[in-house]
Amino acid sequence: MATLLVDGRRVEAQAGDSLLVALVRAGLHPTGGGCLCAGGDCPNCLVTVDGVAYTRSCQVQAVAGMEVTREHLGDEEPALLAKEPTSAGNAAPVRHVHCDTVVIGQGDSGREAAREAGEAGLHVVTLDAREGQHVTGVYPGPLVVASDKAGRVLHVHPRREIVVATGAAEIQPVVPGSDLEGLVTARGAAELVAAGIDLGRAVAVGERPAGLPERTLTGHFPVGEGGWELVRFEGGGRIEAVVVRRHGDTGAAEERIECDTAILGLGRNPRNALARMAFDLPVRVVGSAAAEPELPPCPREGTVCPCSGVTVADLDGVWGRGFHEMELLKRATLAGTGTCQGGVCLPYLRSFLLERGGRLQPAFTARPLNRQLTVRELAAGAHTAVTARSPLHDEHLSLGARMDRAGGWWRPWTYGRRDDEYRSVRERVSLGDVSSLGKMLISGPDAEAFLERIVPTRVATIRSGRCRYVLMLDERAYLLDDGILCREVTAGPGSGDLLDDGMLCREADQGAGDRFFLTSTSGGSGFFELWLRDWAEAFGCDVRILNQTASLAAINVTGPQAARLLARAGARELPAFGRHRAVRIAGVDCRVVRLSFTGELSYELHHPAADAPRLWRRLLATGAGFKVQPHGLETLLRLRLEKGHIVIGQDTDYDSTPRRLAHEWAVNLDKGDFVGRQAILRTNKQPLDKRLVTLRADEPPAREAGDPSAEGAAIHDGDRYAGYVTSDAGTTADGGVPMLGWLYLDAEGKLPREVTVDGRPARRVDGPTYDPDGERARTAVDTASETPENIRKLPVARSEATDLAAEAPAEPPLLRRLEATRVSATSKALDALVERPPWIAGALAFRIAPDELLVTASPDFEVASDPHAIVERETAFSYVWLEEGAAERFLDRECEWRRPDTRPALAQGEVAGIPAKLWFEAGRTLILTPAPFAAAFQRRLARSLAEIDGDGA
Amino acid sequence: MNEFVERQMKLTWRPPKKSYDVAIVGAGGHGLATAYYLATRHGITNVAVFERGYIGGGNSGRNTTIIRANYGIPAAVRFYQRSVDLYRGLEQETDRWLMHQQKGILWMAHSEAAVRAERMRAKLNTEFGAETEFVEPRQVRELCPQLDIEGGGRWPVLGASYHPQGATARHDRVVWALAEGAMQRGAHVHQNTPVEGLILDGERVAGVRTAAGDVAAGAVVSAVGGHVSRIAAMAGLRLPIRTHRLQAFVTNHYRQQFGPIVASSELFFYASQTARGEMLLGAEIDPQPSFSYRSSHDFVQDVCRRALHLLPFMANLRVLRQWTGVCDMSPDYSPIMGRTGVPGFYITTGWGTWGFKAIPAGGEQMAELIASGETPELIAPFGLDRFARDRTMADRGSAGTH
Repeated sequence: MATLLVDGRRVEAQAGDSLLVALVRAGLHPTGGGCLCAGGDCPNCLVTVDGVAYTRSCQVQAVAGMEVTREHLGDEEPALLAKEPTSAGNAAPVRHVHCDTVVIGQGDSGREAAREAGEAGLHVVTLDAREGQHVTGVYPGPLVVASDKAGRVLHVHPRREIVVATGAAEIQPVVPGSDLEGLVTARGAAELVAAGIDLGRAVAVGERPAGLPERTLTGHFPVGEGGWELVRFEGGGRIEAVVVRRHGDTGAAEERIECDTAILGLGRNPRNALARMAFDLPVRVVGSAAAEPELPPCPREGTVCPCSGVTVADLDGVWGRGFHEMELLKRATLAGTGTCQGGVCLPYLRSFLLERGGRLQPAFTARPLNRQLTVRELAAGAHTAVTARSPLHDEHLSLGARMDRAGGWWRPWTYGRRDDEYRSVRERVSLGDVSSLGKMLISGPDAEAFLERIVPTRVATIRSGRCRYVLMLDERAYLLDDGILCREVTAGPGSGDLLDDGMLCREADQGAGDRFFLTSTSGGSGFFELWLRDWAEAFGCDVRILNQTASLAAINVTGPQAARLLARAGARELPAFGRHRAVRIAGVDCRVVRLSFTGELSYELHHPAADAPRLWRRLLATGAGFKVQPHGLETLLRLRLEKGHIVIGQDTDYDSTPRRLAHEWAVNLDKGDFVGRQAILRTNKQPLDKRLVTLRADEPPAREAGDPSAEGAAIHDGDRYAGYVTSDAGTTADGGVPMLGWLYLDAEGKLPREVTVDGRPARRVDGPTYDPDGERARTAVDTASETPENIRKLPVARSEATDLAAEAPAEPPLLRRLEATRVSATSKALDALVERPPWIAGALAFRIAPDELLVTASPDFEVASDPHAIVERETAFSYVWLEEGAAERFLDRECEWRRPDTRPALAQGEVAGIPAKLWFEAGRTLILTPAPFAAAFQRRLARSLAEIDGDGA
Repeated sequence: MNEFVERQMKLTWRPPKKSYDVAIVGAGGHGLATAYYLATRHGITNVAVFERGYIGGGNSGRNTTIIRANYGIPAAVRFYQRSVDLYRGLEQETDRWLMHQQKGILWMAHSEAAVRAERMRAKLNTEFGAETEFVEPRQVRELCPQLDIEGGGRWPVLGASYHPQGATARHDRVVWALAEGAMQRGAHVHQNTPVEGLILDGERVAGVRTAAGDVAAGAVVSAVGGHVSRIAAMAGLRLPIRTHRLQAFVTNHYRQQFGPIVASSELFFYASQTARGEMLLGAEIDPQPSFSYRSSHDFVQDVCRRALHLLPFMANLRVLRQWTGVCDMSPDYSPIMGRTGVPGFYITTGWGTWGFKAIPAGGEQMAELIASGETPELIAPFGLDRFARDRTMADRGSAGTH
């Protein structure tokens, strides 16, 4: 016995009762009326169970303590608002099952299909509604999604076949009175009687119900040719009588049979929605699900669609007004759009349309969801993409920074000292975390030729040790991204000297070749790697590309005292403006790039991610004497605006050619072809219409305006609308307000000089509003020599490579930083390298791409057969060893794809929504994940393992 | 009693003729609106609309029925505002219940970049006639009490742009009312009549070849969704259009309790409650081009997950049905309307994810173009030749959204 609470009233259920049986046993109809099928095919038993409305009471077991509300009584719809707070944002747990064959439905034909497949040696998974496994949809993949007991969701991935053995639904009665209480289908009656429920005086109409003792029937009226026709049910609330007449004779006398229950055996319709949904997947339909649909007689009167309350009169009205297509009939009445998805009405709609239009129309499209899961259940297995974190994330938090999502990264927006952050850059020295910049290393015989075709700047004139701001255009010449291109200092064959002029670079071409370092914006780095690789392949360029975005952190040291701070931090020689070089600062090997986004003397320090916190803290400590203050993104956006530097996406759109952006100076049309060049030549023939310009207003907007920024404000040239503002960061020290904005040329093809913004006068200026000649950024410093060193060969102080093989799984498993090496080389060279490893014995080497290797050894080896190979220290990954059993259980839950069976094996893909590399050995499994995701992965790992233990799995 | 059963409109089907003044390909919203406005505004009724399936069976019947004008560039704001205004008067004009409900749109920001984008949107929209204001989290809570302003602790709402004229209408009824209005005045609509080719008279398009025979026409308008590239190819045109899937789903119906339309461009979803009480959710287009009408599980899975951050009350709602439409995306995320360079052949396409809201203005303007021979000022910026002239209508802010 189990006690339930139904509409606040105690109801006793017996062991094995479905909720429907328990309700009927207590004399309650779940919805107040309508024929009960007990097969999940109709909407007549829907109740709210424990706050979840639209629950089919015939498909759930009665459980002690269940709270049931019969909200569908009357016209009351369930409430949208949960009565109690729900477990916000928590998706249900998912279980991924990989198999050969999945059999949906475990009636006779489903069991037979499963047995046959099992005997053929296939791995078979069965799903059965009676086991709480309700299939919601069959999707490409193929993927079969089903609920499971205990609120879990199954994602079944069959490799070979989906067998649909879902049986048939019973056709419901559509006559007046079909919404009374006391109607059951033949199968429904059998289930109720088997549960020991007394049906009273029962009259069977149609097929004789199976398994029903003779004495329970007080009458039986077969339907169809030579039999009877159902006319209506009579009663008030509850059925009192069934009315029938001889089939095919509308003039025949009616017979009225008094009863307590009417049992309807009106024919069957295959439950084939899943099969129709899966029409082009490897699906096989067996048993009665494969039968042709039976067509009931065209309905004369009554409710056709109980979900939406559509009557035969409604159908007639709509038909009479010209709605003749099945889909139009459905849309005009909403028949078939409720919970049972046409289970009741579809056969009648077809017979109605056949009779009226003389044409048998196909069923409307079968769509998911076949069985309705909740939002919480459907979210199972989905993860919100983790927002990337800089290696300095925790440093920012400890300094009290407010973090903000920008370009897919968490970045410090402000440290809460907005004015001082600004002043420290302009007057003293400041640190900015720019680790989120995209960073690519490019080498190879064609590296220079390749980059000439990617960027519109002439690359040949960027000498070794120099760097330049470059644009990256798409084929339509719209600005895609921008960044800094550095040519590395390379040694020619036999030359140990430092090289610093074009001639020597050409010499280098014949030897080791050129290597370039290219940055891109934070938001664009993922796409940008693909962009480079696609074009390299399209052009047939022989290049190696290594994406170091996550491998390297970057700190921008900027302000008048920047060089002095760095010198104090141990930097011996700093690059001059427009140059870069390798410098050891505070014991950390950095690539120092000197250009400027802030307008002040700036050094960008690119260095291994693992060393970032150490360097950051050291610079802060050393800079205390200069009152160093880190600046956030908010301040950076203000600083750059004073210099007129654009931000991709904020100041640009899908029509931003270099000409419109006033960036023609970064385009060289005289060099060879590059991506976007043809489009520039074509568009240059069109008259210019607008330009991105710098504006300066002398006064800030009125306070009462509310929004202090003019971004989005219209620019007017007299009365003429002349464009809008894209960037405005407020008033500068001199009281002016610099802005960027799109300005349309006037009728004479000229850019106006004096305009208004929001009614305020503003003036177009030709250069940046701050330090127009760029003297501050270019200032000469005496701590630096301009002689670059060979940064490739520099010895680096680093910790030992992680000895992965020697470690055993720990309890509890903890992710730790991996010290390793990444190699980009030709596929052949890597094959040879792995064949005869030059690194210490026992190091593990993972071939993570045809042209890329991750080795748990120090980067002190060369790739013999590829002089252009890139060999770089890699600290971007964290790792954890799991004991095999724990790994299997964790991955069963969190890994959607099929894992390799062989050992050892490497696999890569998402685990728990986070990119991961898996190394399977006998007895243990290694998981590598990008270090910025380590904390998130650790949490998911711990949570998942705890929940698995809780499941008793 | 189902109050949503259609009880007013009458569709009148007539047999096809051999010749019409105007032949429109595609009886979706845009094709029927063009016929409707040709009839009601210009008295041009010798018009036929050819449809390969049933009326409104393409994207007109698969969209998420949102009407708004808060776009990213002045020309778009003006155009969509015209449509918002026409929609507001359409029930009265057609004397039909279209379930038009003005409910307002909240566009949530969860980052400083999004806050500035929404502030900018508010300013630009208001300047060009589509009233929009930036509202603080406190006001967001007042406008939509069901929303978790803390975003489950992970996606806090830092503010939103609020566009009070945002509305919804029942998509099918809009289509039927326009069809009825055109049919009443004499226009023909031919269902199950695919256009298989165009009749060319030299350079000129002079009619359509249909499954039911050749039909001559003084002007041919392509108002096709999905396979527009094929129709254009029949006229020798190559369109800068790529077709992508766009999916949506609804829950079962619940009591009317959810007021506005809410959207988040960072969590990539939007939600509203239909007149019938279903919660209706959508997101951005699928990234890869496709003509498929097939729905995917990862779509519903991801949107459910993301929506739960802001709308935790939805956890226990059951999802009833998901479906898919296809979107014709232009390179600049703006529609393409007007002449094509081929005499006698007009086009209205590139309706991406914003086709439904543009139905009345799109139809009105196309009708005016055909009737007057002059391209109306409102749609002049959206001509096909803009790509060759380097005058794209770049509207990045509207990319992939509803």
